[in-house]
Amino acid sequence: MHGEYKMPGGKLVVIDLDVRDGRLADVQLSGDFFLEPDSALHAINAALEGQPEQASETALADAVLDALPPDVMMYGLSPQAIAVAVSRALHREAEA
Amino acid sequence: MMRTDWRDHDWQLIHTIPQSPSLHMALDDVLTHEVGAGRRKPTLRIWEWAAPAVVIGRFQSLRNEVDADAAQRHGIEVVRRVSGGGAMFIEPGNTITYSIYAPQSLVKDLSFQEAYAFFDAWVLEALAELGIKAWYQPLNDITSEGGKIAGAAQVHRGGAVLHHVTMAYDIDATKMLDVLRIGREKLSDKGTVSAAKRVDPLRSQTGLPREAVIERMVATFRRLHGLSDDIVRPDEQARSEELALGKFSSTAWLADVA
Repeated sequence: MHGEYKMPGGKLVVIDLDVRDGRLADVQLSGDFFLEPDSALHAINAALEGQPEQASETALADAVLDALPPDVMMYGLSPQAIAVAVSRALHREAEA
Repeated sequence: MMRTDWRDHDWQLIHTIPQSPSLHMALDDVLTHEVGAGRRKPTLRIWEWAAPAVVIGRFQSLRNEVDADAAQRHGIEVVRRVSGGGAMFIEPGNTITYSIYAPQSLVKDLSFQEAYAFFDAWVLEALAELGIKAWYQPLNDITSEGGKIAGAAQVHRGGAVLHHVTMAYDIDATKMLDVLRIGREKLSDKGTVSAAKRVDPLRSQTGLPREAVIERMVATFRRLHGLSDDIVRPDEQARSEELALGKFSSTAWLADVA
């Protein structure tokens, strides 16, 4: 499943994922945003992995926020934007 | 750390013969590190390309961004760079690319948005001298009345910041759209691209050969900030070639975001 979100005033945030047993699996965040240190990408993917399919965008954004290293730098990207992209990936069929 | 200004540094220029795409990726990595470690003075490097390439951003998905079959068919090497941002479609002579390797003190206390504009202020001035009215479009673009000119990306490494920019000189848009997958969400940004056969804001608005545009840009930098001619040191070159053949040619790096 695939979801994209162009954050207003930001960059393109893309999520690819599967759902297994009602939980997010094989989550991959990508896009043309800026994120440092670059290892934070894998920390974000890991934070989303296993989240309930029914989790709210707020809960997903909080999970991402909790996983970020204290010195993280985000430009054109935010936990909220990531949560929107996840939500779009999950509800793509409904949108179309 | 005190904030410094351009003129507080002894800027060096590197502009050498064409290099392979993977060596360019490695040179950016190594030269940023050298400036951060204090072994190299702040440097402006102008890139020359030995081969066509697609350069994807640090966090872009390889399969989402690039049509691998089309890239292979056109003989285009796909590489991943160390900085975020979007994909670049390169054929020798179709773009102007430069890197600035600077101490972080130069942009101390600036917001990201201010830092991007700060590093390219000299380019806006050079473009103005060439008769192009251009301005900074946050977050990371230089645009003009004739369309988007350039995209920038920054990455920070141990005391240094790398700011690199690719400017569209004369791009074959048909081939670019064949190789790059440009998603629905992104199409709004590239609307001018899909309508045109060529994306040539620098060529069409200056009427000058690419080399003359580069010459003018270098002259503007030299006048504003000072600039001495330099070369890549043998140890920097050796380390870069090692990384070009290793990390930057590896599937692990290229497909790190699959």
